[in-house]
Amino acid sequence: MRKILSSPNGVAGVILLAIVMIAALLGPWIAPYDPQLFHSQNRLEGPSLDHWLGTDQYGRDLLSRILNGAPATVLFGLGATALGVGVGSIIGVIAGVAGGRADGVIMRILDGMLAMPELLFTLLIVTFLGGGTLQALLAVAVAFTPGMARIARSSVLSVRTREYVLAARARGESRAWIVVREVLPNAIGPIIVEATIRVSFAIMIGATLGFLGLGAQPPSTEWGLMVSEARQFMFRNPWGVIIPGIAIAMTAMGFNLFGDALRDAFDPKRSH
Amino acid sequence: MAESRTEAAVLKVQNYSMAYETENGPVEALKNVSLSVRPGETHAIVGESGSGKTTLAWAITRYLPDNARDLGGAILLGGDDMIGKSPSALSDVRGRRVAMVYQDPSSSLNPSMTLGDQVIEVLRRHRGMSPADASREAEAALERTGIRNPAAMMRRYPHEASGGEKQRVIIATAIACNPELIIFDEPTTALDILTANQIIELFLKLREETGVAALYISHDLGLVSRVADTVSVLYQGEIVEQGDVATVFDAPAHAYTQRLLAALPRPQDRLTDAAPGEDVPLMTLDNVGVCYYAPTLLTRLLEPGTKALYGARNISFSVKPGELLGVVGESGSGKSTIAKAATGLHPFEGSITFDGKRYDAARDFDREYRRQVQIVFQHPDGSLNPRETIGRILARPLRLYKLVPGAQVAERVAELLEMVLLPREFASRYPHQLSGGQKQRVAIARAFAAEPKLVICDEITASLDVSVQAAMARLLVDLQARSGAACIFITHDLNLVRQLAHRIVVMRDGAVVESFATENTEQPDRAAYTQDLINAVPVLARPAHPTTTEGLLQ
Repeated sequence: MRKILSSPNGVAGVILLAIVMIAALLGPWIAPYDPQLFHSQNRLEGPSLDHWLGTDQYGRDLLSRILNGAPATVLFGLGATALGVGVGSIIGVIAGVAGGRADGVIMRILDGMLAMPELLFTLLIVTFLGGGTLQALLAVAVAFTPGMARIARSSVLSVRTREYVLAARARGESRAWIVVREVLPNAIGPIIVEATIRVSFAIMIGATLGFLGLGAQPPSTEWGLMVSEARQFMFRNPWGVIIPGIAIAMTAMGFNLFGDALRDAFDPKRSH
Repeated sequence: MAESRTEAAVLKVQNYSMAYETENGPVEALKNVSLSVRPGETHAIVGESGSGKTTLAWAITRYLPDNARDLGGAILLGGDDMIGKSPSALSDVRGRRVAMVYQDPSSSLNPSMTLGDQVIEVLRRHRGMSPADASREAEAALERTGIRNPAAMMRRYPHEASGGEKQRVIIATAIACNPELIIFDEPTTALDILTANQIIELFLKLREETGVAALYISHDLGLVSRVADTVSVLYQGEIVEQGDVATVFDAPAHAYTQRLLAALPRPQDRLTDAAPGEDVPLMTLDNVGVCYYAPTLLTRLLEPGTKALYGARNISFSVKPGELLGVVGESGSGKSTIAKAATGLHPFEGSITFDGKRYDAARDFDREYRRQVQIVFQHPDGSLNPRETIGRILARPLRLYKLVPGAQVAERVAELLEMVLLPREFASRYPHQLSGGQKQRVAIARAFAAEPKLVICDEITASLDVSVQAAMARLLVDLQARSGAACIFITHDLNLVRQLAHRIVVMRDGAVVESFATENTEQPDRAAYTQDLINAVPVLARPAHPTTTEGLLQ
C-alpha cells in the first residue's frame, strides 16, 4: 500500500476510489431526498441550494439519485469482474498447467471468442438472455472470460518453467500441490492487477448497456440509465447528462489509476 | 596535478566519485577512483559483481542513467575532461575516440541490419567515408579479425552468425575508426571457452598491430593475467590495489586481492579425498537420449527432410556410490539435458539403472527414486519459491518423504541450516532477504534434507562470484563426504572440476567425448577436444607459493 501511495497516480486513484466507495456504502442513507420523489415545481433545474446537483425531467433530485445508484453501479462492476476473472483465471490456469494439446484446444476456442469486439459480444449475449441487470452482469462476465484466461495462462507459463517449480517436480510433488503452492502464489499478481483495471471496463460496459436500454430498467437509478433518460432533455438541462457521466468517469478512472499503481507496486523491477 | 603525465596518458581518471540517487538516499557507486591508461597499454579492472566495474565504464563514456550524480574528480580522455561535455560533443567522442565492446554480442548488434551495414554505418558516421570506401574498409576490417570470408559475412544478419563471429564483427567495428581507447566490458563471458579463447587471441593480435590502449573489465582473473599489463582491483566502488599485473597477482598487498586470488580454482589443490574403491555402480545411464523436437506426422508429410532434434543422444556413463563425478562441456553440449532426464524433468530414451532397479521412462520414477536422486539448479534466485520462508522450503522434503516426525521438523530445519553454515534464524526469512550465495546454500540444504544417495549439481557455482564459488565448492565436498552421497557435478569450469571430481566426463554436442579419472587429465592420450579445453583455461599460480611462483601454467 505504501508503494501505491508513492506515485501521484496511485494517490489520485485511491482518493477517487475512496469517494466512490463511501458513496456506494453509505449513498442511500446520506441522500437528502427519496430518489424517486417528484418535485414537480423544480423540473430540469441546474444546481441550487435545495438541489445541489439539480433535478431531472420529473423533478427528481440528481444528487439523491446518484448516491442511490452508486451501490448498484459499483456492485455491477465488481460482480461482473469477479465472475469473469474467476472463470477466466481457472480456465487459463488449467490451460497453462496442462500444456500440450489441451492448452491448444482451449486457447483456440478462446481466440475465436476474442475475435469479436467485447461490446458487440456483450450485446449479443444480452440479446439472447434478455435485458436486466443480472443478464447484463452475466454478459459482461462472459465477455471478460477469454481475455482473462489469456492473461492467467501467460502468467502461469512464465512461472511454470522457474527452477523452484522444476525442483518441486523433481521432488515428486503432486500436480495439485505444485499448482496451489508453487505456481499460483507467484502467478496471481498480474491477474489481480488486470482485475482492478477491468472493473472500470465493466462499469463502462454496464453503463453502455443501461444507456441502450439493455441493462437496468427504469425507474432504476443505475448511472448509465440516468444518462440515457436525461439525453432527450440534454439541451434544456445538461446537468442530467453531465452528473451521472462524471460519476461513471470518476469510478472508472479511480479503478484504472489504482490498477496501474498496483501493477507498478507488484513489479519488483520498478521498486528499488 | 602533474601535467606532463596527464598529457601522456590516453585516459586518466582522477579522484572520481559518483553516486546513484535512490529512494533510500544516495548510494555511492564509485569512491575516489583514480587510474590512467598509457598509449598501447591494456589496463584491467577486476572485481566481483556489484563492485562498480561496469559503472566505471559507463561513467567514462558518460552513458549514465538519470539518477546518477557526479560527486567530483575528472575523467580526462587525451587531456579533455569528459564530464560536462555536451551531448553532441559526446556523440562525436563515442565510437570515434572511445569504442566499446560489450559482454553479449547478440544484444549489441541490431538484428534487422546486416553485419556489413552496421560496420559501414560506423565508418561513414565517424570517418566521413563515401559508401563505396566504407564498404571496402569494412571488408578489410573484418578480414583483420580473422573472419574467413568477409564479403559473405557482410551480407549476413546477426542471427546468421555465431556468437564468436558476432563478437569479431563488434571488435572490427570498434577498431575500424582507430580509436584512442577501447573499453572491453567482459567481452568473453557470454561465449564458450574455446570461442572465448580465440577472441582473446584476436585481441592480443590486434593490439600488437594497432597499438591501441584498452580498458579491460573482467571478473576472470586468469584471463586478466593473460591480456593486461596493469590492473586495478575494484571492491565496493573503491580501488583497493593497483599496479603491474605480475606484481599484483604474485604478491597481492590488499587482503581482498589475496582472498580473490586464493579463491581461484586450481587443479593441484584437491578438495576431495581418494576415490571410493571399485564398487557396483550406483547409477548407470545406458544409451540415454533426450529428444527436444520430434516432427509430427503432418510435418513429415509436408517437409520430408525434417529431422528430430536431440538435446543429448546415446549417453552412457555410471556413478559409483560416494563418488564425485564431474561432467564438463560447453553450453549446448547436453550436460544440463542429462541432469533433467535423470531427475524426471524430461522424457528420455534408453534406460537408467539406479540402485539395482531399471527405469525405462521418466514416468516410471517412483517416490523412492525421487527422494534418492536430488538436483540443485544453477540460479539461486530462481530455485527458491519467493513466497515461502526458508523454513518452509527446507521442511518440505522432510514432510513429503516423512523423514522426521512432525514435531521434530523445526529442529531438523535448524540443523540443516547449520549444516550449510547459515544461522538457524534464517528459517523465518524469505529468499529475497538472502544473498545469492546464501540462497544457493539453502538449495543445497534442501537437496541434502531428503537424505539422498545421489545429488546432481547443475552449474551451481556458475552464477556466483569467485570467492563465494570456492566456499560453495568446499561446502559441497564436505557435505558429500559426510553424508556418503554420490554427486554429479555439472560445470563448464574445468579448473574447478579438476579440484573436486574423482572422475570427469567430457561432453560435446549432446554426446560423451570421453571419461577419465581426474589424475589422468593431463595424460597425452586425452581426446583432442579435452586437450583444447584444458589449454583454453589458464591456471593462475597461487601467489607467493614457494613451488609455483614462475607465473602461469599454460
